[in-house]
Amino acid sequence: MMEHSLELALALGVLSPLISFWVLVFWGPKLGKPAAGWTAVVLGMGVPLVIATYVLIGWLNAIKTGKALELTANALRYHWADLGGVPITIGVKLDSLTVAMFFMVTFIAFWIFFFSVGYMAGHSDEVDHRSKYSRFFAYLSLFGFSMLGLLVSSSLLFLFIFWELVGLCSYLLIGYYFDKAYASRAAIKAFITNRVGDFGFLIGLMLVYFQLQTLDLDQAAARFAEQYAAGTGIFASTYTLFGWSLATIMGVGLFCGAMGKSAQFPLHVWLPDAMAGPTPVSALIHAATMVAAGVYLVARVFRLMTPDALMFVAIIGCLTLFLMALIAIVQTDIKKCLAYSTLSQLGYMIFGMGCGAWIAALFHLITHAFFKAMLFLGSGQVIEGCHHEQDMRRMGGLRRKMPVTCWTFFIGVLAISGAGIAGTTIGLGGFFSKDEILAVAYARAFEWDDYKKHDAHESHASIRTPSASEGPWLAEPVTDSKTVTQRGTTGGFSLVSDPAPAHARPVPHGESSKASIFNGIKALPKWMFYLALFTAYVTPFYMMRCWWMTFMGKPRDEHVHHHAHESPLMYIPLVVLAIGTFVSSYFLFRDLITDASTVATAAPLVLATDGHVHTPAINSAHHWLVYGVGGAFIVGFIIAIAIYAPGLYVAERIRRAVWPLHTLLVHKYYFDEVYDLIWVKGCIVFARICRFIDTWFVDLAFNILASATERFAAFSGLIIDNHGVDGVVNGVAQTSMDFSDVVRGPQTGRIRNYVLFAAGAAAVVIVLILIYGSGSSASVAAVAASPTS
Amino acid sequence: MTIGLTHYLFVAAVLFATGLFTMMTKRNAIGILIGVELVLNSANVNLIAFDRYLGPGRLDGQITALFVIVLAAAEAALAVGICINVYKNLSTVDVDTATRLQG
Repeated sequence: MMEHSLELALALGVLSPLISFWVLVFWGPKLGKPAAGWTAVVLGMGVPLVIATYVLIGWLNAIKTGKALELTANALRYHWADLGGVPITIGVKLDSLTVAMFFMVTFIAFWIFFFSVGYMAGHSDEVDHRSKYSRFFAYLSLFGFSMLGLLVSSSLLFLFIFWELVGLCSYLLIGYYFDKAYASRAAIKAFITNRVGDFGFLIGLMLVYFQLQTLDLDQAAARFAEQYAAGTGIFASTYTLFGWSLATIMGVGLFCGAMGKSAQFPLHVWLPDAMAGPTPVSALIHAATMVAAGVYLVARVFRLMTPDALMFVAIIGCLTLFLMALIAIVQTDIKKCLAYSTLSQLGYMIFGMGCGAWIAALFHLITHAFFKAMLFLGSGQVIEGCHHEQDMRRMGGLRRKMPVTCWTFFIGVLAISGAGIAGTTIGLGGFFSKDEILAVAYARAFEWDDYKKHDAHESHASIRTPSASEGPWLAEPVTDSKTVTQRGTTGGFSLVSDPAPAHARPVPHGESSKASIFNGIKALPKWMFYLALFTAYVTPFYMMRCWWMTFMGKPRDEHVHHHAHESPLMYIPLVVLAIGTFVSSYFLFRDLITDASTVATAAPLVLATDGHVHTPAINSAHHWLVYGVGGAFIVGFIIAIAIYAPGLYVAERIRRAVWPLHTLLVHKYYFDEVYDLIWVKGCIVFARICRFIDTWFVDLAFNILASATERFAAFSGLIIDNHGVDGVVNGVAQTSMDFSDVVRGPQTGRIRNYVLFAAGAAAVVIVLILIYGSGSSASVAAVAASPTS
Repeated sequence: MTIGLTHYLFVAAVLFATGLFTMMTKRNAIGILIGVELVLNSANVNLIAFDRYLGPGRLDGQITALFVIVLAAAEAALAVGICINVYKNLSTVDVDTATRLQG
């Protein structure tokens, strides 16, 4: 195997969609329908998928032969530019996380591109008699390029560039139906909301640049560790804001970018509106990949986080997952319902990151990507089949018309609800990933203080360094006895005590400093765990409600039901993704992420926690949690079916009973209204105030000054200039003219006169010499007088 | 009566005055040219006479006179050329009518 073949393959995989974009931009309209679509499928995602498979196989081999770490360390880096003495490198990040994400994104994107060909086939997409069809696939290809570029970037700067590019693609695709006002408004809203987050990202980036003097991810982490150990750089600063140190501000700033892109509270408002885009776009960008980029970013900068920053992350994630899940209950639009469930699941991931559940959060990201993409494609099939009817109240009974869609959707519902058999390893998607996050949250909230007390007077040998001892392919519980007791049902703590050997960190104060960090990390507030747990019960409820209203029961609208149909081009991706949901729950991805976690969480300040809620080694003390979490889906399903099976009237009665809550949820806690009031109206009011100040202060002063200047100018122009300056100039000119008139007189132009003047003048000179003559003229006269001499 | 310097100077003065008068009175360009020649030749007479009487044995005056003759020839050629051109343009050699270049 060539030395850098994997990186080069990844780079090629990133460039392929760019070529596809280029082709579609220039020759798309000529290719037409559906050739343009197939171009994007093959060139835009087919090639990257093949490459991703190749890289995955090569990478698995590398892990098996133990070369993986070496490959990561030697990954390609080119010096690109110097920014104020700080070298900026362009390179490919090669580790298990990149490989896993790259494969996941290309796989899902490929099937969504495939689906899009079917979805767009029946769309009227003409604006001004020109088809937008090829434009859609051009945008999709551009998105493919940006997203894959984001995943392989090894430098924060390039990560940021691709970050903005995916934002741009999101904007373009939300506004695909730009002739509809709501779509262009939604696009602008998404773009501006993301800018708010990106502003924070930029602040974080600047801090990294100025304090750590590098933008390379690995180097930054190494410098961070060094500076922490030596107490220099960012840790030497005594600057605080809201009680946050500079290092915390850096972490929070970087997280702000994630808040925007992953639509976390309070920047979540754009994601539901983004459903104005075509459904494949919702599936690809606003469910599976781009919105997860925020989580990916947090995972990448995990090593730069401080405990305070992570606490902030956890709070934001917790609020998002809870608040958005409640809104999902009252949604009647099938896509909006899925959008809010996406928000809630993203909240879980961010919450997991905040808790230190690095592995669990990314695992959830990947399983969620599969089933949420499938759910969205299912909804796209439903919407397309029902002639763009999105209101679930008018659907119902579609299971007979769309059996494949119905049952793949059901698999998605099971997966997002975390369905499985508690105490065993039989389950789907969220059963592993979401519950793992909850397990870690439980450990951090309830067992943390006990653990710290234990730890204070015992050696750190018990603190598990993950993976290193296990080997990357063993996701079994750790055999260390202390850890097992601590794990209980909920997993073990793994304080990653030292960064990877490549940049071993000198510990100045020995073990005690590590212990003090360890003790400095606070336990999670208990309410956060309760909210997350409660939401685990809400999720299955609203998902089952959504499924039941759409596919089960009796048809509520004959017209819609009559036309409903499904097409193979669209349900093949559904089936593939359903299989992907199974596979991603069990194989490959979790192991890859576990493998990546060793290096990726090797930070001096950060506690990475690992948890297996469903491992057989269950400790008796926390039985209830296993069943409480694992059985949540049953409770949710039963309640949902009980309410919606008889029809909509039960729900209607409940709605009337709790109308204040319902109104609050329907209006999404009035966030849009409040933002409208504060930001939009606030802007307008501020502009009015500015205008008032402008008119009555600035303009007034200006006008007074202007009229004074005018008066002065009139004075200086009429008096000083006209009579003074001009007088002098004109006087000189006039004098010259008068003088020249005099001088011009004798110049007649007649030779005779000139000769006369010359002769006369000569005569005068001679006469003068003779009269006042000196000695010499006298002697001449004397010589003339004596001809003989 | 011996012919002395004074006689030469007198002849030269008469020649000079005649030339000057011709230059002042003639409107014909050729006439003016003739006047100029007279003035120049009066100067030549003076030069030869001074050479003969004031610096015998030295040839300064004669050489200068030769220079003047050459100069006069060149000047005459130039001046006649101008005259011909003036005539071609104006069909006359009256200097009073040649005022086209006057400001």
